[in-house]
Amino acid sequence: MSLRSPLGRVAGLGSAKDGTAHWWAQRVSAVALIPLTLWFMFSLLALPALDYATVRAWLAFPLSGFLAVLLVAVLTYHSYLGTIEIVEDYVPSAGMKIFTLLVLRFLYVLVGGASIFAILRVAFGS
Amino acid sequence: MAEFSLPANSKVRKDGRIFKAPAGAKNVRVFKIYRFDPDSGGNPRLDTYEVDMDACGPMVLDALIKIKNEVDSTLTFRRSCREGICGSCAMNIDGKNGLACVSACADVKHDIKIYPLPHLPVIKDLIPDLTNFYAQYASIKPWLQTRTAAPPDRERLQSKEDQEKVDRPSACILCACCSTGCPSYWWNSDRYLGPAALLAAYRWIVDSRDEAAGERLDYLEDPFRLYRCHTIMNCTEACPKDLNPAKAIGEIKQMMAHRRL
Amino acid sequence: MSEYKLIDHTYDVVVVGAGGAGLRATFGLAEAGLSTACITKVFPTRSHTVAAQGGISAALGNMGADDWRWHMYDTVKGSDWLGDQDAIEFMCKEAAAAVIELEHYGVPFSRTEDGRIYQRPFGGMTTHYGKGIAQRTCAAADRTGHAMLHTLYQQSLKHEANFFMEYFALDLIMENGECRGVIALDMSDGTLHRFRAHMVIIATGGYGRAWFSCTSAHTCTGDGGGMALRAGLPLQDMEFVQFHPTGIYGAGCLITEGSRGEGGYLTNALGERFMERYAPNAKDLASRDVVSRAMTVEIREGRGVGTLKDHIDLHLEHLGPAVVKERLPGIAETARIFAGVDVNKEPIPVLPTVHYNMGGIPCNVHGEVITRVNGSDTVVRGLMAVGEAACVSVHGANRLGSNSLLDLVVFGREAARHCARIVKQDTAHRAFKADAGDSALARLDRLRHAKGSRRTADVRLGMQRVMQSDAAVFRTAESLKDGKHKLAEVFASFADVQVTDRSLVWNTDLIETLELDNLLGQAVATMHSAENRTESRGAQAREDFPNRDDHHWMKHSLCWVDAKGATQFDYRPVHLNTLTDDVESIPPKARTY
Repeated sequence: MSLRSPLGRVAGLGSAKDGTAHWWAQRVSAVALIPLTLWFMFSLLALPALDYATVRAWLAFPLSGFLAVLLVAVLTYHSYLGTIEIVEDYVPSAGMKIFTLLVLRFLYVLVGGASIFAILRVAFGS
Repeated sequence: MAEFSLPANSKVRKDGRIFKAPAGAKNVRVFKIYRFDPDSGGNPRLDTYEVDMDACGPMVLDALIKIKNEVDSTLTFRRSCREGICGSCAMNIDGKNGLACVSACADVKHDIKIYPLPHLPVIKDLIPDLTNFYAQYASIKPWLQTRTAAPPDRERLQSKEDQEKVDRPSACILCACCSTGCPSYWWNSDRYLGPAALLAAYRWIVDSRDEAAGERLDYLEDPFRLYRCHTIMNCTEACPKDLNPAKAIGEIKQMMAHRRL
Repeated sequence: MSEYKLIDHTYDVVVVGAGGAGLRATFGLAEAGLSTACITKVFPTRSHTVAAQGGISAALGNMGADDWRWHMYDTVKGSDWLGDQDAIEFMCKEAAAAVIELEHYGVPFSRTEDGRIYQRPFGGMTTHYGKGIAQRTCAAADRTGHAMLHTLYQQSLKHEANFFMEYFALDLIMENGECRGVIALDMSDGTLHRFRAHMVIIATGGYGRAWFSCTSAHTCTGDGGGMALRAGLPLQDMEFVQFHPTGIYGAGCLITEGSRGEGGYLTNALGERFMERYAPNAKDLASRDVVSRAMTVEIREGRGVGTLKDHIDLHLEHLGPAVVKERLPGIAETARIFAGVDVNKEPIPVLPTVHYNMGGIPCNVHGEVITRVNGSDTVVRGLMAVGEAACVSVHGANRLGSNSLLDLVVFGREAARHCARIVKQDTAHRAFKADAGDSALARLDRLRHAKGSRRTADVRLGMQRVMQSDAAVFRTAESLKDGKHKLAEVFASFADVQVTDRSLVWNTDLIETLELDNLLGQAVATMHSAENRTESRGAQAREDFPNRDDHHWMKHSLCWVDAKGATQFDYRPVHLNTLTDDVESIPPKARTY
């Protein structure tokens, strides 16, 4: 039990002076994803076939490879921002929250990094 | 994780009492009302009251008062103005937050279920504890802040257009229908200020007479205080005064972005 | 009484009630550095000031020439010369500063094209001493009370005032005719709190709920008046009860006089604008008592509208949706919800409905409570009253619309200022007598365990029906005598009341019973005072005494009610003198509109 005043409880630890950057980044990345996703879909549809060789050739083309890396990076980032929100919404205890956020952060770097590495490998053909 | 089911001591018992309508009543409606007796320490229950609507006013509050006056005087709820301006009788009627005094029984087609406002500690029956809600309102410093001295012998001038910006937002009655209807507020009411307090903050931010918009935005610049709003819009849906807290919050977020760009 | 936990508090000043007057006093006191507690049975913004619609009067002259002297003239005339002219001068002179102060606090007033506070015409408000129609009522659309009450609460938050919310004040603690404090019940946990203070300010509002149909909230139960009566103090001018001309037929909800100020008008079954006959100059904007009587006569003479010919139509259709939306949005909403009417298409069915109590706890211009000792006015030490609970008397026999919000802020502010003058901050308090508050506790305990045969609601309904039929717009010796008799029966039946809820946590059954106790005393005072005053003046319309009788009755009646419901009367002279030489006394004359 705490006898702290209700206003003291609401004031808590004060403003984090943060939040807008996250909100803004979420919107910017969402906007960026619109052309990137469209490009990706239309490009795949435009390919004569979807076999390994064709796709590899397509990715080896500099602009395609570059945009594919960008798509994966932005998608991962956007998804990361959204997932953090969900954790903040539903995980109330500080310990569990820090742990979850830490794991998520590692996971996203891992998945994003690996995906980009894979694209580069395909694009540069080694 | 957030709890998605009621805690054990809040589960509603099935053995509520039933109060039959008087014999000969022709136009009977059934009210199922949440009852919680803090003295007994037991779990809450749903009591069933049959009300003869031919001898009752049209609003849900009329029925509650009739039950209290004639059937069960232990039924406990807040009420005052009975015309939708004081905000006392906010409760959950047929699954929606609203004011009992301006909610017509006829608008509910089946049995009328009445619960206290959701996700607040219940003190007794339909009376929730609004302490935190009021503290959140106080926390946004809901008063005019200026540094320019007011003219000594006349009002501060305000154009009609500027007045229109505060006209609707200042009509909030602090009934808490919006905040307690917001899922985000359910999970994080300890840190998220909720739509009512944010609407109040907005009311002062857009008031052309106020000179503390920056400080007010600083206070809200926080992942929880403001940004737990996920634009679910339940607040606007619930508001019995047809205000639009969701839009106000959206505009606060835009102002936050504007001042960095 | 060991079952009750008694907690003691000490403050310089304790305010009971958090409506407009209580809040204005509370933060004024906090601002002056006095330690202050405000006890309120509802969260402050739920107080009934919130329901005031039309506006607050002040001769700002934003929308045409105006002068506080004209306002004073209107108020004296509106009061039918029963108002104290010194107090009225004070109120009208302070009005402009008080309203400008409210604006500086942030009240979201509607505006004129040049950015000033918007002002609308209201009943009885004139220019040049009755010659023209004044635009004097400062408005925030049609929710001025809401705008004001919220702003006053916000100022209280700013000044970090102490609130004891959802505490029900039980009784004043009196010692040798002096008020020492107040005892209150914390409704949320049933603990009892004894407040010791140098000054107690009663700001508990009116007792409209003594009637069956009223515009008042369920919480308007005159708790301060009830406490004063039990403390052996008199209530003043209780016979004067204002019937608002436009309560919604059936529901009783208020339709602001501002709707007529904006151009609305009343018609009878013949479609006739009948007010032209009763008040050729002011017409629909005559004083409230005049309009209510005219409506009642129309209905009585068979010209009421509806299948039962029992109400009157209020027309707003001709104003156009734009005016309704900007100036009367709340009225449109209320009419839709409670009368099923679209005000842009059809008239609102209305009926004169109990609205305001001009009477109350007698006090002077500073708010200090007055009683009569050995035939002369005596200040009750340690006690003040403000707002509708008080009778200063600025409203006399009839209040003008938009003068009550003014009354609240002017006298709430003055009470705080006067306390700052006479109460020394943090001075030591004498100890209470050992039995302080015991009688209140005994009363609480008795009612909480009341095992009679009559439900609180039954007794209350009995009282409301008697008041509705016999303390009505028109009164006769016969109806009042009958009313007195029936009310005595109701009063006696309270001894047989039954309270079912025995809990101490949020026991609203008990609270309603305590409120009924408060209402009953004031209902008795009203009925007896009305019978006692054998003249017609302002809101008191005696059919057997149709004229004003200045020779015998230009005096305030004081009524004491004892525990058995027996009354006793005395009188106070009306102050015809003004406060300063800024204005001359307004001599009585015939009152026509």
